[in-house]
Amino acid sequence: MSSLFGTMSVALQAMLAQQGALEVVANNIANSNTPGYSREVPNFEESPPILSGHTMVGTGVTMSSVESVRDNILNLRIQQETSQQSSLGSYVNSMNQVQALFNETQGTGLQTDLSNFFNSFQSLATDPTSSSLRQSVIIAGQDLAGAFSQTSDNLATIQQGLDQSVVQTVQQVNQLTAQVANLNQQIQEVSNSGDNPGSLEDQRDEALSKLSGLVDTAVIYADDGTVSVTTTNGALLVSGNQSDALTTQINTATGMNDVYAQGTDITSSIAGGQLQGLINARDDAIPSVQSSLDNLAAGLISAVNTQQKAGFDLNGAQGVNFFTPFAPSASGSNAGAAATMTVALTDPDQVAASSDGSQGDNSNATAMAGLQNQPIISGQTPGDYYSNLIDQVGNKVSNSTSEQEAVGLVLQQLTNQQGSISGVSLDEEATNLVMYQRAYEAAARVISVVDELNYETIEMFTPS
Amino acid sequence: MGIRVNPDMYSIILNGLQTNSQQEDQALQQISSGQKLNSLSDDPAAAASLVTLRMQSSSDTQYLQNISSLTGSLNVADSALSSVVEALTTAQTLGVEGANGTLNAQNRQALAQQVQGIQQEILGLANTSYNGQYLFSGTNTNTQPYVADATAPSGVDYNGDDKTNSVEISEGQAMPTSLPGSQLFSNAQTNVFQSLQDLYNALTTNGNISGATTEVENALNYVSTQQTFYGNSVDRLNNAQTFLTSEQTQLTESESNTLDVDMGTAVTDLTQTQTTQQALVEAGAKVSQLNLFDYLSST
Repeated sequence: MSSLFGTMSVALQAMLAQQGALEVVANNIANSNTPGYSREVPNFEESPPILSGHTMVGTGVTMSSVESVRDNILNLRIQQETSQQSSLGSYVNSMNQVQALFNETQGTGLQTDLSNFFNSFQSLATDPTSSSLRQSVIIAGQDLAGAFSQTSDNLATIQQGLDQSVVQTVQQVNQLTAQVANLNQQIQEVSNSGDNPGSLEDQRDEALSKLSGLVDTAVIYADDGTVSVTTTNGALLVSGNQSDALTTQINTATGMNDVYAQGTDITSSIAGGQLQGLINARDDAIPSVQSSLDNLAAGLISAVNTQQKAGFDLNGAQGVNFFTPFAPSASGSNAGAAATMTVALTDPDQVAASSDGSQGDNSNATAMAGLQNQPIISGQTPGDYYSNLIDQVGNKVSNSTSEQEAVGLVLQQLTNQQGSISGVSLDEEATNLVMYQRAYEAAARVISVVDELNYETIEMFTPS
Repeated sequence: MGIRVNPDMYSIILNGLQTNSQQEDQALQQISSGQKLNSLSDDPAAAASLVTLRMQSSSDTQYLQNISSLTGSLNVADSALSSVVEALTTAQTLGVEGANGTLNAQNRQALAQQVQGIQQEILGLANTSYNGQYLFSGTNTNTQPYVADATAPSGVDYNGDDKTNSVEISEGQAMPTSLPGSQLFSNAQTNVFQSLQDLYNALTTNGNISGATTEVENALNYVSTQQTFYGNSVDRLNNAQTFLTSEQTQLTESESNTLDVDMGTAVTDLTQTQTTQQALVEAGAKVSQLNLFDYLSST
């Protein structure tokens, strides 16, 4: 049966519940600028009613739990897009370094050296016995060879730098997976004790979001509150409170670090994140540019040497190799041709300008200059081949940049959507604050009224 | 109940500001460099065509240099040959004069002396050089083509060869740089030096002076014919030069179209990004100025 004291206890419970709700509001306001924070809402529950005479009477309210407002599916999509975004981002950054090596927009690329080389033979043709023009040919050859080997070396340096980044990124992945495993365990413990693991889940979401920036992830939420994380191709990263560290190991064939998950080489199956961007640039884009450069160098070396040997030098002797002949390490491969390109001739007299052995003949110099318009590089002229290489390098950057922008827009939209679900709105919190404050004041008022009633009742029996 | 919007308006404005400053950066870069292509990725196809354009333009510059050095030597050779023709004309006049029966031996000797002088003059002209290269020695440009030799029937020896060098004056178009003396001054029927030697001998010995004069006349006609090569060559060079110069103008224009920024557009772009930025910043300042707390605090 109801009593004044019962009413007082209902009011007290109400005060406690509103106070709890005020704490939630305070926490939301406090974290309104915390990255990854999801706003929390208090869950109120009616206390079980009791039978008072013939009527059921409510017994007040309890704050049964505090819940974080989040959409896990949306979070997963954000992670996927983040993964793609950072893959493209790191690829574009890497290839920006590569395209800077081919500085044709400023007119300081290989084209100038190519033109100068062929033009030096044209000049020589106008005065084939001139020693200064012969010297110019050798210098133009040295400049060209120098430009090739420099560009090739710089490509290799960029590639090495990316390899270092791959190793560092793997270390960051391992730190994050360890963190997620650790949080899994804490969340499970907190959930088991019946508390709200919201803030831990926020931390885990933040870690998962960072992780998806590094590598492609597939996240599965388990009923016990933990998540398991694999790469999208199934390499296990986190399971419960265990994380599986990725390892790196130098591939003796390429000299680059391969990435291993539980003993399996997953280098080429990584499908997102910074790691994918780095690996794409390192193992695919740069080698393809390097290979085109090598083809161009090898084609030039071979054609120029052949033409040089078809002619005669100033002393009437059969021409010898102009460039140091390229010795392929494997048949059919031009790897290393650009890096090792050097001029073999030292004496300007050795430039074979004559095609019949007489001193003053210039036909071979003209033929040498004419190589510029011959299909000597995989069926293309040197200029056309190089022009295609430029197109190739530029497209690698521009295509990925456009893609990056597109993914960026999607990500922006998703993040906005996430904000609309989980973000803290100060207007909302202000409303709630007033609401809970008033409820608290009202409950306090009930206590004061009941107290007065009690007083009255007690006074009735007090002898005057 | 309304749709809940993202309360973090700043992030939306920040995104806008970032995108905008990227565009601003690009516009600024274009204006400061004067180029719309600042890296290959700005327009890969344009960058690739730039390479081809510049290869061609550079070749054209080289062809123009070839033409200018050829024009010099051809003009010198042409005027040397004009002098040869003039000298031979004088020699022919002397021969006609010598064939006149009224002349005595002394008169003829005097004419013979003049013919000898012409021989010397033509020898000098046949050894004309340009930039240290002999013009009429075939490809042996470092060897003096004609040397006086009293034992030779024509009075001179030819030390050049019979070949000609060609130099490219545009892609695939080669042009002989000169004709060898062996071709310019003689053929199977006629020989400049021989005809003069014969005239000299005829005048000194009162031999077949009119026959020798006819020889000189033939030689004169022959050299005149050969000389047209030089005139024609200079014409060809001029044509090639005109063609190359106009091609180069076109190439430069294409290069400029590919590379150079339209300042008007770039400046408009820049102004636009600045306007957008200002609008975004103002919006940002207004959006989050107030929330409900501002009104609640007074109660």
